[in-house]
Amino acid sequence: MKKFVLGIGFMLLATGITFAQVDRSKLPASGPAPEIKIGEAETFTLANGLKVFVVKNNKLPRVSFTLVLDRDPILEGDKAGLSGFVGEMMMGGTKNRTKDQLDQEIDFIGASLGASATSVSASSLKKHQGKVLELMADVLFNPIFPETELEKLKKQSLTGLATTKDDPQAISSRLSRAVLFGKNHPYGESQTEQTTKNITLEDVKAYYQTYFKPNIAYLAIVGDIDKTEAEKIVNQYFGAWQKGMVPTFNYPMPVRAAKQAVALVDRSSSVQSVIDVTQPVQMKIGDADYISSRLLNQILGGGSASRLFMNLREDKGFTYGAYSSIDADKLVGTISASASVRSEVTDSAVYEFVYEIKNLVENGVTQEELDKAKAELAGSFGRSLEQPSTVANFALNTARYNLPKDYYATYLQKLNSYTVADINATAKRLIEPDKFIITTVGNGAEIKEKLAQFGEVIEYDIMGEPAKQLVAEADMTAEKVLENYLNAIGGVDKVAAIKTTKISMDANVMGTPLTIAFVYDSGNGRYGQKLSIAGNVMQKTTLADGKGSMSIQGNVIEMNEAQLAEAQLNSFLFPEAVYKANGYTVSLDGLKDVDGKPAYKVIITAASGAKLINYYAQDSGLKIKYENPASGDTFYSDYQAKDGVLMPMAWTIKSPQIPVPLEAKVTSLEVNVPVIEGDIN
Amino acid sequence: MKKNLLLSLLFGWIILPLAAQTKIEFKEFTLDNGLHVIMHKDNTTPIVVTSVLYHVGSKNENPERTGFAHFFEHLMFEGSENIDRGQYMNIIQSRGGTLNAYTSNDITYYYELLPSNELDLALYMESERMLHSKVDLTGVETQREVVKEERRQRYENQPYGTILPETLKRAYTTHPYQWAPIGSMDHLNAATIEEFQQFYKDFYVPNNATLTIAGDIDYATTESMVRKYFSEIPKGTKSVYRPNITEPKKTVEVRDIIYDNIQIPAVIQAYNLPARNHPDSYALSMLSTYLTGGNSSLMTKELVDKQQKALVVAAIPLELEDGGVFLMYGIANMGVDPKDLETEVDKLIKQVQDQGISDEEFTKLKNIMENNIVSGNSTIAGIAENLAEAKVIYGNTNYINQVMDAYSKVTKEDIQRVAKTYMDLTGRVVLYYLPKSAQPVTE
Repeated sequence: MKKFVLGIGFMLLATGITFAQVDRSKLPASGPAPEIKIGEAETFTLANGLKVFVVKNNKLPRVSFTLVLDRDPILEGDKAGLSGFVGEMMMGGTKNRTKDQLDQEIDFIGASLGASATSVSASSLKKHQGKVLELMADVLFNPIFPETELEKLKKQSLTGLATTKDDPQAISSRLSRAVLFGKNHPYGESQTEQTTKNITLEDVKAYYQTYFKPNIAYLAIVGDIDKTEAEKIVNQYFGAWQKGMVPTFNYPMPVRAAKQAVALVDRSSSVQSVIDVTQPVQMKIGDADYISSRLLNQILGGGSASRLFMNLREDKGFTYGAYSSIDADKLVGTISASASVRSEVTDSAVYEFVYEIKNLVENGVTQEELDKAKAELAGSFGRSLEQPSTVANFALNTARYNLPKDYYATYLQKLNSYTVADINATAKRLIEPDKFIITTVGNGAEIKEKLAQFGEVIEYDIMGEPAKQLVAEADMTAEKVLENYLNAIGGVDKVAAIKTTKISMDANVMGTPLTIAFVYDSGNGRYGQKLSIAGNVMQKTTLADGKGSMSIQGNVIEMNEAQLAEAQLNSFLFPEAVYKANGYTVSLDGLKDVDGKPAYKVIITAASGAKLINYYAQDSGLKIKYENPASGDTFYSDYQAKDGVLMPMAWTIKSPQIPVPLEAKVTSLEVNVPVIEGDIN
Repeated sequence: MKKNLLLSLLFGWIILPLAAQTKIEFKEFTLDNGLHVIMHKDNTTPIVVTSVLYHVGSKNENPERTGFAHFFEHLMFEGSENIDRGQYMNIIQSRGGTLNAYTSNDITYYYELLPSNELDLALYMESERMLHSKVDLTGVETQREVVKEERRQRYENQPYGTILPETLKRAYTTHPYQWAPIGSMDHLNAATIEEFQQFYKDFYVPNNATLTIAGDIDYATTESMVRKYFSEIPKGTKSVYRPNITEPKKTVEVRDIIYDNIQIPAVIQAYNLPARNHPDSYALSMLSTYLTGGNSSLMTKELVDKQQKALVVAAIPLELEDGGVFLMYGIANMGVDPKDLETEVDKLIKQVQDQGISDEEFTKLKNIMENNIVSGNSTIAGIAENLAEAKVIYGNTNYINQVMDAYSKVTKEDIQRVAKTYMDLTGRVVLYYLPKSAQPVTE
């Protein structure tokens, strides 16, 4: 019946009469490919060397100005991080406007204005063009770089840096860059606390004076404006800009690893591993392999239908997403395939990454994959043209990379001309499957041994510096470490003589002062801890009479058995003396690097299976770090003697529950003073 | 505009007319089966967006079956009689397109953005969805799992993720806005396949849909293509259920504490709003910008920068067809008592109610609104959505060209007036979000 109906439909169509009967059994074919018209950018150059692109688009009464500096990458060395401050500093106030005035004037016209070390950009409605240009020029030519602004930015930057030290993604990216390019390469160096502190106002000013020159700048003007008007305003605002010599730099080309190897950052608190399978690649926009490498990457790991995604997520369920990238960069880029996976499947996931890359290079892609990748990339190219700024970017790339004039006009033709053989040849030219570095950030105790099958495993610290090769003495045991610790702080007898202790500490979180008080009365099974802000108790823990409770902002919670057991262990000022007696097992997990100090890692396990970890310095024997998966890491320093026993006067607490590390200083410490009930509650 | 001019003369500086909008041209027609079609031609880029707005949201649901509208947004990607299960997205992507969908309390919206030579495909796909989507057990069971994951990711696992459902639950006692689009998992689990099939028959009908095509098209060809694919779809057999329920005005403040997986407390306030197409909506939207829009806005400057009592503050008018809520939230800074933050927020609200806003701030607001309205029509996807909403919510497709005029009519006094009228402390909802660890143990 259906066939019959379709037959009639076909006949009617054939005679030119359309009839409302559609063959729904197959997908409509694509119509003839539309002609992709790419708008032309008009260009002109000022006497001072400023190159200007104008993309007229009067669909909307808007206009945008984007100034970009084209300079070589800079090795910042002991001032790493400097360029990150330049833009914000330029926005920090001008000869004519304070920062507040600048903010208000930008908001007042509903405009946006921003700056970075290599750009200044502004956009607004056409009718506010004069005002927004005035503001942009003020930021570009008259910044005053207030000292207070630099101090504020440095503080924020240090806070940010502290959070990146706990962020596995940030550690992974630092590690990959350091391993591929080395610390003496602009792409390999990292900003640290020290390099941040080294940055001075003079450095920021010198950067600004050196690099903000019209002869290395491009200005893209997009929107409701034509070339004549653009020429007039560019001359008015940017004509007097003085050209100057800008230094250029060359860097040695990083070489690929001689053979596959693993770079590991041991992060014992990780439950996921961040894997990055990576090698450097020399390719820039316009190179023979550039467009074919877009197609190649789309097939390998470019989206949710790629090989990596289908294998690691859809088939194996190792991860929420697995992707790849092949950079194009004037200096040097990277090939990278990465994912965050559950710790226990780390080696299986690496195996699949290695397999997929090798398989891609050795066996190539299929016609079906290539057709799909072409359609996806052509579609995304077409959609990008809706934004007039895309045309400006094309003009900018054409100039920067010295591309043929019709490079983008014929982009889709080029994209569609690639054959399976072309893509396979590109894969062989760009990728060397046996020369990848597999960087991994994860729990070393769980994954290190399993990673050895992929090559030599080299450990790094969280800043991407090679980890010190630390090996504990063969005869060292957990028991000895604890014994050494008790001896180091004054000996078992002196420790036992301390019956009660009251400690008060001050700290500061983002400007809010906190007080933390502890009361230890282990002999009577009593313990109290209070956290107060401005005299108000925010949080408190109490142990007494075999019961425990926690209270947060006035709400009291009684502890259950498991919570009580754990709290009781923490209720000793020197739990090392009582681990054994309380049925905890202790084991040594080697010598580790704790902020540059070799320290023994001791894992303490309760009968319930709950674990906590202490680190004791190899040289002094003192406890320098306490790690607890629930409450975070505490670092101890500045040990001072009280009643013959050394105790830490400075605690640094890092926890996922607080945004910045908490630096607490002991303000008072009393030993063997009477403890009354009020002290505990 | 004439009226504006007269008022301007009377009040001098009070009225600041905004520039005329760039006019959005469109053509529209309605098929015999009730499907309304809007077309907007813009040949500058060879791409086309095809969207269908179904006038069904969570407010059209049976109170015993909440979450249906959103569930359908998932189910409608399962395929149709002619599109294999799971292939909907693949087909669009392999022709160089992207697609997406969303569900609100009022509407469900689907769209695909494709090269313009694929308009035929887009219309075919959308007509398949409207004519005979797969509503079967396999699909329902698959999508139940996906929705469970979505619920976990976006609500349960997301700090402050339950703000909307918890607020709506308290802001409405009678109107079906009292449940959020995500609805109830229990309801979805309890529903039979017949109920899902009935929902499809009730709401996924051409007379409850608006098809919008915008981009590189030719009007005549597009119209004949639309007729080819959509004419055969039968009209719904009964009238579409639309709740006719008036939410009574609250006279007592509703105050509650929610314990969530968060570290930092937050204060939420919600004030009931008039219907979305009420003239006061424009002044309310400007009020929200005055309070928290941009670095120099009243609350951001005062509470985040100066007093540093909040990490962030935001005022969002959630505009709904039958009257939404003006939602304000502030996340307290480290160590700040939420009570203290709330007091400061209330002080600033009172300041606006008592003193109104300055001429300079008023001019700034007009400038920001103008910029937003112009930018809102910068993509064909945005234009398609605005056209469809203009027709369905405001009953007039040309409303898209009148938004700027509506904002022009707002006066400085209106902003003070709506602050007084709607930000009524006695009828509001106040929620404190506190860390779960602070929850007192019951029993």
